[in-house]
Amino acid sequence: MSDLVFLAASFAFFLVAVLYVYGCQALKGGRDDA
Amino acid sequence: MTPNGWLQIAVFFTLLLLAAKPMGLYMARVYERQKTLLDPVLGPVERLLYRITGVDANAEMGWIEYGAAMLIFSLSTLLLTYAIERLQHAIPLWNPQHLAAVEPYLAWNTAASFTTNTNWQSYVPETTMSYLTQMVGLATHNFWSAATGMALAIAFIRGISRRESKKLGNFWVDLTRGTLWVLLPICLVYSLALVSQGVVQNLKPYDTATLVEPQTVTATGTDGKPVTTTVTTQTIAQGPAASQEAIKMLGTNGGGFFNANSSHPFENPTPLSNMLQMLSIFLIPAGLCITLGKMVGSPGHGWAVYAAMSVLWLAGVATCYWAEAQPNPLLHGVNQRVVQTGAAQSPGGNMEGKEVRFGIANSALFATVTTDASCGAVNAMHDSLMPLGGLVPLSNIHLGEIIFGGVGAGMYGMLIFVILTVFIAGLMVGRTPEYLGKKVQAFDVQMSMLYFLIFPVVILGFSAVAVLSPSFGTSSLSNHGPHGLTQILYAYTSAAGNNGSAFAGLNANTHWYNSTLAITMLAGRFLMIVPMLAVAGNLATKKIAPPSLGTFPVNTPLFTALLVSVIVIVGALTFFPALSLGPILEHLLLRSGISFS
Repeated sequence: MSDLVFLAASFAFFLVAVLYVYGCQALKGGRDDA
Repeated sequence: MTPNGWLQIAVFFTLLLLAAKPMGLYMARVYERQKTLLDPVLGPVERLLYRITGVDANAEMGWIEYGAAMLIFSLSTLLLTYAIERLQHAIPLWNPQHLAAVEPYLAWNTAASFTTNTNWQSYVPETTMSYLTQMVGLATHNFWSAATGMALAIAFIRGISRRESKKLGNFWVDLTRGTLWVLLPICLVYSLALVSQGVVQNLKPYDTATLVEPQTVTATGTDGKPVTTTVTTQTIAQGPAASQEAIKMLGTNGGGFFNANSSHPFENPTPLSNMLQMLSIFLIPAGLCITLGKMVGSPGHGWAVYAAMSVLWLAGVATCYWAEAQPNPLLHGVNQRVVQTGAAQSPGGNMEGKEVRFGIANSALFATVTTDASCGAVNAMHDSLMPLGGLVPLSNIHLGEIIFGGVGAGMYGMLIFVILTVFIAGLMVGRTPEYLGKKVQAFDVQMSMLYFLIFPVVILGFSAVAVLSPSFGTSSLSNHGPHGLTQILYAYTSAAGNNGSAFAGLNANTHWYNSTLAITMLAGRFLMIVPMLAVAGNLATKKIAPPSLGTFPVNTPLFTALLVSVIVIVGALTFFPALSLGPILEHLLLRSGISFS
């Protein structure tokens, strides 16, 4: 049971990290800093 | 402090300086896929790996793709290590002590720890991990996490050097080349050098020695009554230590093969092995400064960054050495058997928790180096450092481990500080800040600040909860008062900074600490990498403006001084209140004759 919890926790963390990537990209929006 | 001690510190710095340039130029060639002497041997291996895995080595990635590849790779390796730990009892390979499966909380903590290059160890390796787990689960991870950090630093450097590009390189290629061309060849030679000094390397079961003098030990039994036993034998742990030791130091991982880490005579037997270990911690991070200068076309900038790191390193080691060379005021003159003054047979100062073969100078230097970088290996007990001596390693991690820093992580952390410094310099003169011809704009600063803010949020947040929770937080302390606060603060600082060294007075092998420290390690690694890559990706897209009279030069002593100031101010402002309640208060109370049990 604990193994499943930690498996889920691992996937959850990395899913959050991927969403965070897109969150950072969204923060930039359509701005062209160049 | 002795002239001999300072001489050894000077020798360390000189050797590092001599090694940095060739190392840095070599890494630039490796990552720019230029010819090297190792190509005839490693080229076919590299091509075979790409063919097996289906990697197109010429396909470059944008920052999102690069970051996603890094995250997928890290998740996969985390799960692999977790599985090996949980199944080690069932795998009929290299488990001569027949060790049981690692408990789930501890297994997850350890898997997160090695994935993030932290190597925080809540376990005793000799009684917990089989040789298979040590080699395949942990030592291999040392290579992967180090190569990942180096790849990310190179991606950031490409972001600075490229113009109007959306690409930062190929993560799989950078990972492969860093492992094959940099880490493996050095570790091969380095392991043999360690073996020559006496570091063990075998797959034998543990030895049993008969004690010359049997020892009588009294412990509390399960019924609460004292139980006295006579110990006549000692178990001497063995194993493939040298191969793990080499990458543990070179990759700034820090996880000891034995529980006593680099103070164990099988892991760090001689003053020469000690010097090699300290040098190998800084070798790649120092070299990366030169790689930076080479790849961005401004060698002077690389040296300016190197100088800033050197100034901060010197300040740390001087403070730690001075603090440890002082006698403990509570022992001074009270117990004449505790020799604390320099004499022919004694180095003087605080020798508690230190190995006699290393002495005070090399223990202070090791403590400083291991926390300047995100290594975390120890050759002395940090919990036994004097309060101001312990303040140095703690502050080094608080500054973000950018004083040479972890392999790759130190460089990209320092470059975020450079962005902030350039931004502040721009504000001071009222011009749009530029870094090597690229405008530093709102998004870059927003992401840089996100990078900086995650660090104190996880450290101070979890520390606050632990300090206020007697049932699961303060119940693990071995000392109370300000020293106890420092123990908790150090644990979360070490985890968030991916350092892995422990103050060692805290029993962290509990469900609370194992799970929250694992989350802290993951957040301190990946939630900081993402905004860093966003800055790199954004910088790569920009044009490079020609230098003008208003351009702030980043290869001068003025830049170095400003960079050091920004690092100190940001670190001091963020953590000074917590430090004042921990080691600083403990120092003042100790001078007044007050200590806590």
